[in-house]
Amino acid sequence: MVAEAGASIATAAVAAHGLSKRFKRKVALDQVDLSVPAGSVTALVGPNGAGKTTLIRVCMAFERPNAGNVEVDGVDPWKHRSAALRRVGYVPQTPAVYRGLTVEDHLAMARSLHPGFDVQYACRRLDQLAIPLDQRADTLSGGQAAQLGLAIALGTRAKILLLDEPLANLDPLARREFIQVLLDAIHSDGSTALLSSHIVTDVEEACDRLTILGGGKVLLDCPLETARKVHRLTDSDSPPPGATAIGSFAGKGTKRLTLWRLPEEGPDAVAAGDSTGAADSSEEASLEDVVLGYLAAGRGTFGLQLN
Amino acid sequence: MLTRIRLTLKQHRFETIAITVVCLGVSVAALIEAFRLNSLNVPLSCLPTGYSFGPGMSSMSLSGGDPHCQALADSFDRIHRSTDVNIVELLLLLVPLLAGIVLGAPLVARELEQGTAPLSWSLSGSRRRWLLGKVLAGVVLLVPLMLAVGLAADVLESALDPGVNTHAVFQNYLGRGFVVVFWALAAFAGTFTLGTLFGRMMPALIVALVICFFARVLWDPGMDRIVLRSIAVEQANSGQQFGPVFAPPGVGIATEPTPSGQPSGSPGPSASSEPSASPGPSASSGTSASSGTGGSNSGTDAAMPYWVQSDLYVYNQVYVGGKPYYGDQSNLQFGYGVDENGNVFGWDANGNQVPLDPSQIPTWVNFVIPGSQYWPVVAFESGVLLLGSLLMAGVAFVWVDRRRPY
Repeated sequence: MVAEAGASIATAAVAAHGLSKRFKRKVALDQVDLSVPAGSVTALVGPNGAGKTTLIRVCMAFERPNAGNVEVDGVDPWKHRSAALRRVGYVPQTPAVYRGLTVEDHLAMARSLHPGFDVQYACRRLDQLAIPLDQRADTLSGGQAAQLGLAIALGTRAKILLLDEPLANLDPLARREFIQVLLDAIHSDGSTALLSSHIVTDVEEACDRLTILGGGKVLLDCPLETARKVHRLTDSDSPPPGATAIGSFAGKGTKRLTLWRLPEEGPDAVAAGDSTGAADSSEEASLEDVVLGYLAAGRGTFGLQLN
Repeated sequence: MLTRIRLTLKQHRFETIAITVVCLGVSVAALIEAFRLNSLNVPLSCLPTGYSFGPGMSSMSLSGGDPHCQALADSFDRIHRSTDVNIVELLLLLVPLLAGIVLGAPLVARELEQGTAPLSWSLSGSRRRWLLGKVLAGVVLLVPLMLAVGLAADVLESALDPGVNTHAVFQNYLGRGFVVVFWALAAFAGTFTLGTLFGRMMPALIVALVICFFARVLWDPGMDRIVLRSIAVEQANSGQQFGPVFAPPGVGIATEPTPSGQPSGSPGPSASSEPSASPGPSASSGTSASSGTGGSNSGTDAAMPYWVQSDLYVYNQVYVGGKPYYGDQSNLQFGYGVDENGNVFGWDANGNQVPLDPSQIPTWVNFVIPGSQYWPVVAFESGVLLLGSLLMAGVAFVWVDRRRPY
């Protein structure tokens, strides 16, 4: 795992310590240490089965960890579920709406279940999207249903938002709207968000931090800028000066691309200290390249040896 | 909480409407049948005594050949045995269980099936509180509807047994009155508990139907042994060797004192002039041919035809030497005689008279539940159902806190 500074456990909104979760023989989370700084918007990225949903479910006390623990705003959700859930707004993977109830009924139900639920706030969010309150939930489009789920999560005025692949089933426009509403709320409330997704381009514009999960392990956890800054991409096996190979994956066409990681000091430090004068043919890696490189490494794609 | 109750009922709109319509429909049907019977205004004297309604018995009227009386009795009997009444009676028996099952099955299971449980559980810190809201919605719906059904069943029973205090006889006593509410609640609690355990609606529904069927079938014999036998009293003047269990007053029941060897005192029974309301047989001797119903029914022959006796829970027991005899009755010698000196004798295999110890003469004693025990019995059985409901619901409340929301 590669963990970056800036994620102090003390200021973490979500912190996992040696977190493991097994489903019979399948290991969903394997000794995960993770810290999501308060006020950040963290993209939790990984392929299907990486453990993203399990991690969020453990945070919601839906799953009990086999080892280690997780803290949500300093509270262990399994031990103090009520206190932990008061701090969290949750958006599930598939929009969960009560078919026979109207949008307004959903807000009323949320109000009756969550004492601090801000109906007016949720109404305003829905109003911005022109979602009628008297519309039955089973007649909402996928995007509208997702927006309703987000409005309910935001209406809790929770400090932490956990979003479990809410964009997966949405069309591009709905995804854009969803992210817009989310960011708007987060920036105005100063809350923390952990957004799970496997659509990298969507989270790229929304998040300021990246966590890559693969095979139940954290492969990368750092600010987005750092992720871009310390990774390089080449179409050959010759590394940039001082770089470490991460993973190799298929590029466009038949090209094989390799992701390299520069030392912590970044490319400037490497360039300054490089006395060989060798030409650096590497390019800056996009966020998608970074993710693909780490996922390929996790799968051992193309058999690249990792350092 | 009111919002959650309202929204839960709205969420289960189909079940709510269906149960309401069926319950009210069955209640109205029962009232209509009762009205049809009552509107005949059949004088009690026209109705046959010793009458147990059944096929081919409609001509047993004791109306003394009065054609008008006979016609009324026949009309009454025709309605009494009609398919309509039978169907209504069957529905009155089934509706409480079906209502509880239909409402209970989707209560939690549908949330788990449709994926709405994670939303609710993420909002509610306490899943038990969440479940409580849903359960209360079911209770709020079921209780008034079942009271209506139970009341309608009571009215119908009253019409079917005219002149009878339906709260002093045990005819269909588990299918009418407020005990119906507890049947529905037990079915409801059992089914939503199954739904919580299984997380699937159809399996919960099917298993609940099977369990309810067996519970209902086994309930009566079970309660007969556990409850009714313990409070049964000796039927008046039944402590004799032979005699009809059911008969009109003064007909067929011996008015002579039972033999001196009649078992008496505890634990053996003895004939009593009035059945005691207290558990266990009384020890006094008497010869009255009272109807033996006790409570509010005793001494009301004019207002209450004797055939109501068949509504009472009845069982009989052979006593030998003052103790219940559970062996093979074919080994017992029921026949005996009394010579001019008052000595009791029996007969050997050759038909010769042999002296007989009066205490060893087997005596067949009938026991009944007096009408005064109606409310205690109903309250007890309702309490058992309520306790069962609470226990089953307790399982759901524990499990909902531990299970996954999918």
